[in-house]
Amino acid sequence: MRRAPTWPRHAIMVAVCTLMLIPFYWVVKTSLTGENIYAYPPRILPQDPHLFSYVDVWYLIPFTRYLLNSLIVTAMAICGNLLFNTAAGYALTKDFPAKRWVILLFLSCMLIPFQATIIPAYLITSWLGVLNTHLGIALPLLSTIICIFVFKASFEAVPKSLIDAARIDGLSEWRIVVRIMLPLSKPAIATNVILTFIWSWNAFMWPLIVTRTADMQTLPLGLARFLSVMENTTGALYAFVVMVLVPGLAIFLMAQKEFIRGLTSGATKG
Amino acid sequence: MSAGIDWRAMVRHRFFYVPVALAILTAGWNAYVAAYDDGLIEGEVHDAAGKPIPGATVIFFERNFVNYQEKFRATTDAAGRFRFTDMQVHIGQLEARVEDGRRSERFQMNLWFRSQNVQLPPLVLGSPRA
Repeated sequence: MRRAPTWPRHAIMVAVCTLMLIPFYWVVKTSLTGENIYAYPPRILPQDPHLFSYVDVWYLIPFTRYLLNSLIVTAMAICGNLLFNTAAGYALTKDFPAKRWVILLFLSCMLIPFQATIIPAYLITSWLGVLNTHLGIALPLLSTIICIFVFKASFEAVPKSLIDAARIDGLSEWRIVVRIMLPLSKPAIATNVILTFIWSWNAFMWPLIVTRTADMQTLPLGLARFLSVMENTTGALYAFVVMVLVPGLAIFLMAQKEFIRGLTSGATKG
Repeated sequence: MSAGIDWRAMVRHRFFYVPVALAILTAGWNAYVAAYDDGLIEGEVHDAAGKPIPGATVIFFERNFVNYQEKFRATTDAAGRFRFTDMQVHIGQLEARVEDGRRSERFQMNLWFRSQNVQLPPLVLGSPRA
């Protein structure tokens, strides 16, 4: 039997990828040329590209402060996620009374949009006394239900006999998690890191509510502030957008293999 | 179970060498900036024939969000050269003027970092502006 040619499939994939990348290309092109995005007819190729808009952004706004805040908050969220989600994911692989109800509760909590829980979240953050702090900004992202299930799926793929052998050797539950489960769950860790990074890096509403001073603002808030304060800065505005996007893209590109493996682990049997 | 760390594998991992490469690039860039950030802006004023103009006034216009406003002045020496010192700017415009009313085109100056030492192309005086 003759195999069907693969080029039509590849052509379709290339076309779809091109379509997906056009907005990003347009953002980068505008950041390099500073031309009006409403200019008609639009220029496909950049004319006289330069990087001075990026220099402008660096000095027009406290970019390093925003970057530092975003990095601290994201690092806290990632650490919290790895710690709490590992513990919760491992617990859900065990048998305990009302386990089904706990899972059901987790799943039903995923149906509630974050906007609906903002007031209680704000009150809790206020009672803890961490408003306008990095911890306060990171707090709602310290554990996420989706990532708990990613860990659960990954841990369930580890053979029970391995865990039993470790237990016979005298390892405590925490050491089983740290020494056996986590080294065998690298895709799940990468997925956790990337998802948390993206959510924390792009978070806008919660940081907007919980921060009170400009020096605690993160990059997305800085972008909104930049939009409201500056005028006639098309190139600088888009340069700022690229500078906000690049760290997330870099992390994703570095870990995409593990990320995709982590998301698909548990999707198939065997 | 071996508890040793495989350093060779760690060094070869993307999550190690990419941040390290970025850190080296950043350190190199900062070293370059530290070596060339005295805030010196230098250049010459010529007439259309290329003859240096002594005693011309060179005006530096600083950006003020939406437009440029005059901020500093310098005068060219006998060789037609001018120099601004301690300029804490990364963007601005320069224009040369002489007493007979001739002016140069405004030169748009974009620098790679604040206080960068820069040697500008000559400002060429044109005909008097109305």
